Amino acid sequence: MDGISGKVALITGSSRGIGKAIAQKLAHTGADIAITYRNDRGSSRAKAEALQVEIERNNCRSILIQSDISKKDSVKAMIQAVSDGLGKLDYLILNAAKAPFKPIEKLFERELKQLVETNYLGNIFCIQQAIPLLEKNHGKIIFLSSLGSRFFNPSYPLGSMKAAMEAVVRDCAESLREKNISVNAVCGGIVKTDSFKVYRQYWDHLEKLPDDLVVETSEIADVVAFLCSPLSKGINGQTIIVDKGLSSTLIRQ
Amino acid sequence: MKNNLVSEATVLNELKKALVETLQVDEGVIKPESSFTDDLGAESLDFLDINYRLEQAFGIKMARHFLLEHIEEMFGEGTAIDDEGRLTEKAVTLLNLRYGGNIPKIEAGIDMDEVPAMLTVGPFAKGVLDILNTLPDQCPQCSSSDWKSEDGMKVSCGSCGESAAYTNGDDLIVAWLTNVQQEKNIF
Repeated sequence: MDGISGKVALITGSSRGIGKAIAQKLAHTGADIAITYRNDRGSSRAKAEALQVEIERNNCRSILIQSDISKKDSVKAMIQAVSDGLGKLDYLILNAAKAPFKPIEKLFERELKQLVETNYLGNIFCIQQAIPLLEKNHGKIIFLSSLGSRFFNPSYPLGSMKAAMEAVVRDCAESLREKNISVNAVCGGIVKTDSFKVYRQYWDHLEKLPDDLVVETSEIADVVAFLCSPLSKGINGQTIIVDKGLSSTLIRQ
Repeated sequence: MKNNLVSEATVLNELKKALVETLQVDEGVIKPESSFTDDLGAESLDFLDINYRLEQAFGIKMARHFLLEHIEEMFGEGTAIDDEGRLTEKAVTLLNLRYGGNIPKIEAGIDMDEVPAMLTVGPFAKGVLDILNTLPDQCPQCSSSDWKSEDGMKVSCGSCGESAAYTNGDDLIVAWLTNVQQEKNIF
C-alpha cells in the first residue's frame, strides 16, 4: 500500500494473534517494525524472534522489545528503544491486552487493578510516551478494540476496558489534532486467535458460529494498514468495526 | 469410585500430544518433571488451550481456575495471595498438600506469577486422571453399569449411549479444599 513504505510501526503485543498479523501486513507493505512481547519466560520470545526473521526477509528492519505496558518505566524504555533502534515512530498500534476470563463481579481487587493497569493505564502510558516521536511526522495511533466494548460477552471483563479506550480514542483524536496526530480504532468481531481458543471454553455457542462470520487476523490487519495509509486521511476519532456484519443483526436463524 | 476406563498411559500420551501441538515442542523433551514455563515455554493462554484439547479428547471439563483462586473464592481475598501478589504461608501449605510436596522452590513470599513455572507435567496428568476417576458406578441416565470405550479415550454408556458423566475439575478442587479445611482447619 502506497505511503507506508519506509515508515516505522510499533505494535504492542505482536508475538502472536492480531498483533502478529498487523506486523506481517505492515512489513509486507514496506514498514519497519518494532515487535513487543511481555513475557520473557514463556514462548512469546521465540515467537517474536521467528516473526523478526520473517519481517527481515521482506528487507524491512525490525527490533524486538520486551515490555510490560502496565509499568510506566517499561513503556518509557520501549519508546526509547524504538527511537534508538529505528530512529523515529510513525504508527503506534495499541494491540496488547491481558485480562482474566471471569464475570466482572467475581474479580478480586487485585485482578481489577491489573485489568485497568494493563488495558487502560498501559495504553495511555504508551500514548503519552510516544507523542514526542509521533508529532514529528504526522503520526497515527490505532487502538485494537473488540465487540466486547458494546455487547455483552460472557466472562469478558476486558470489554469494559475496550469501551473506555474507544472513548480515549475519540478524546485524543481532538486533543492531539494540533500535534497532527490522528487517533482511530479497529473493533474486531470474532477472530480465531489464541484468545479465541480460550474463549470458546466459556461460550458454548461460539464453535457453532458460521465460518462466514469469523474474521481472519489478516482482515483486521488490512483495515489497520488502511488506517495507517494516506487513503484514510479523512478519518479521525473513529472506531471501525470489522466483524463481517456479525453485530448488524439482532437475531440469526 | 475408580471405574476409570482410560489408562494413565493414554492420558500421558494425549497430554504430550496437546503440549506438542500447543507449544510446538519436541515430544522427546516432555518429561513428567518438565516445568510448563521454564522447560516447555507455556504461557497463561497456552494452559487454557492445552485444557481445551484434553477436554475434547476425553469428554471432561478441566478446572477453569487454579487452586490459589479457589482458596480465595472460598476463604476470601488475601488468604492465598497478599496485597503485593505474594503467596501466603497458608497458600504454600495447601499447594504442598495438593501436589504432595512435589513443587521445588515453593515458599511463602514468592510472587504469584512464579507459580506456573513451578508446575510440572506429572501432577498435571494426575489432575486429568483424578477427573476420569470420578466415573460413577452407574449411568445417571439409565442406571446401567455398562460403561464402554471404543477408542480408550471417550467413554459412553453401553446401554443408552449417554456420554460419561465426570465431575468437573473446579468442583473436584472445591471438594478437595472443603475436605482439607474440615480435617486440618487451616483457615
